[in-house]
Amino acid sequence: MNHTMTLTIQRVEGALIRALGLIERRGFAVTSIDASADEAAQQMELTIEVCSPGRSVDVLARQIEKLFDVRSVAHVRTSEPAVQLEESMAC
Amino acid sequence: MKGAQLLVKALEQEGVGVVFGYPGGAIMPVYDALLDSPIRHVLARHEQGAVLAADGFARVTGRPGVCMATSGPGATNLVTGIANAFMDSVPLVAITGQVPTPVMGTDAFQEVDIFGITMPIVKHSFLIRRAEDIPRIIGEAFHIATEGRPGPVLVDLPKDVANTMTSIPPIFEMKSSDPGRPDPEQLALACRLLGEAERPVLYAGGGVGMARAVDAFREFAEASCIPVVTTLKGIGAVPTRHKDYLGMLGMHGNLAANKAVQASDLLICVGARFDDRATGRLDGFAPGAKVIHMDADPSEISKLRFADAGLLGDLRVSLSSLPTDLSIEPWRAWCAERKAEHAWRYDAPGEGVFVPDMLRRITEADPEVTIACDVGQHQMWVAQHCHFQRPEQHLTSAGLGTMGFGIPAGIGALMAKPDGRVLTVTGDGSIMMNLQELQTIRRYDLPLKMLLVDNASLGMVRQWQELFHEERYSEVDLSDNPDFVEVARSFGIKAFRVTRRDRVDAAIERLLAAEGAILAHVCIDPKTNVWPLVPPGETNDVMLEGMSA
Ligand SMILES: Cc1ncc(C[n+]2csc(CCOP(=O)(O)OP(=O)(O)O)c2C)c(N)n1
Ligand SMILES: [Mg+2]
Repeated sequence: MNHTMTLTIQRVEGALIRALGLIERRGFAVTSIDASADEAAQQMELTIEVCSPGRSVDVLARQIEKLFDVRSVAHVRTSEPAVQLEESMAC
Repeated sequence: MKGAQLLVKALEQEGVGVVFGYPGGAIMPVYDALLDSPIRHVLARHEQGAVLAADGFARVTGRPGVCMATSGPGATNLVTGIANAFMDSVPLVAITGQVPTPVMGTDAFQEVDIFGITMPIVKHSFLIRRAEDIPRIIGEAFHIATEGRPGPVLVDLPKDVANTMTSIPPIFEMKSSDPGRPDPEQLALACRLLGEAERPVLYAGGGVGMARAVDAFREFAEASCIPVVTTLKGIGAVPTRHKDYLGMLGMHGNLAANKAVQASDLLICVGARFDDRATGRLDGFAPGAKVIHMDADPSEISKLRFADAGLLGDLRVSLSSLPTDLSIEPWRAWCAERKAEHAWRYDAPGEGVFVPDMLRRITEADPEVTIACDVGQHQMWVAQHCHFQRPEQHLTSAGLGTMGFGIPAGIGALMAKPDGRVLTVTGDGSIMMNLQELQTIRRYDLPLKMLLVDNASLGMVRQWQELFHEERYSEVDLSDNPDFVEVARSFGIKAFRVTRRDRVDAAIERLLAAEGAILAHVCIDPKTNVWPLVPPGETNDVMLEGMSA
């Protein structure tokens, strides 16, 4: 399954890598990513599509939420994978 | 004031009395500042010794252990210890020197990206760019290390920042956060599940001790009379002689504990995480049980096993909100029968030392002793056979299984409680991983008692090769070990050898009565195994049994 989630992270050193690294380490593959910065709020908004290895995306969301640089996480939608599972790297 | 002095002041403000570390180029400003501070610095002989000692210190006190190292190799030598603290949720603040900011990213001498290297094994990390941020960052580091589910925090301090002059910023204080209360709906659900249960089991993990919930846990266990099993880290949640305690569950657990869990209809998981060493094959773990899961960490609930009721937040609140008037007498009786049926036996044949019996007797002779373990068969014997009154008496590298933990952890425990009695139980493989710390024991005159279980092999690996690799032994023979008694003596530490069962009582007496550090070198048959055992990939219903002697 593909899941789309939005993250708001603080723009501090390491925050982006920390969030993306956690997603991959927990077994999910990032299939697309869109980022925009909010200069005034010193925040970054990420829209990330992940491909699940059959693990709970809710648990992943809670794992991301625990990161200290992450302000919010929302699971937006679930969809059939656009890429066939065999073709994608990590799933 | 220089940044480095500010760092040391901030540590003092956090109430830090002792730090473990090893100096070097990039962290020299901090070592200079330490000279003018009341903080005691303990010089280990390897950075891994320093970080594992800080870990042991934290496990005993519940306060963050603090260690420091220089950049590059100093920092990378901390990595195993940081991972160890991460896996076992131990509060730790690791401070590393870093090359000056202008050369960061240029592959400067002794530059490594320790911030990047440790990212997956820290609760959080900081790279300090400005001296005036130091008090805030140290305040946050200590707060993060301890709040909720504890863990290690890395603080990387570039040398130029440490040398920057800055005015003293205001004192930084973090408000202590409330661990939160369980959701009322989930709590109501949990109460209902408990009321309906006929065969409940309390499954306690390391969280019970860390959340300071031991009293609340015992009150609930006492009042409800629910049989208790623990994980490796949960040992001591109830005294090991408690009437309803069935022992450790899992791979090397007690049969009674595993049978009760497998037969239960409600598992009340308190500060545990369904680790594979505890559950065996997960899809066959407690197959008929509903689950109430209490934890401080939201991401643990339903991570590996669906929680029918998830009680997030303060374990003490959750435990004291559950009903205790249950009618589970037939189940208690069944569990008591299993407990009697599978009680440990100590009548092993032979003349050699039977380590399980020796360990049990040490804790009978000194019920208050703190035991720091290494990793291997001897670690499992400690978990199975020693008696403990409280969780913080049992220091063991559970999640990472770090050989070399025992001696540094023993040092940390003694630094935390100089008047306490601490015994390190180690193996002939493990002791060599941090042997250099014998000198730290000597340097600070620490009365660490050591029991070296020498089977002239990497026993645990040897056992697996015997059982699961058709006795094809590969690189597990250590019969070329040095003479450990001579080794200890060369560090100025008393040592003696035990080879026969009829000398065990005298050996225990000598070990416990000794003033100062002492090592008992116990030689046993290399073919001794740990029983029972759930083979990897099997459910906890499948327990191999044998007689170790
Ligand atoms: C740092 C590290 N390397 C390797 C291992 C794998 N390992 C687990 S137990 C063990 C054997 C330990 O030998 P010893 O300390 O003599 O204990 P014994 O099992 O013989 O009691 C090994 C090699 C480990 N846990 N940690
Ligand atoms: Mg051995």
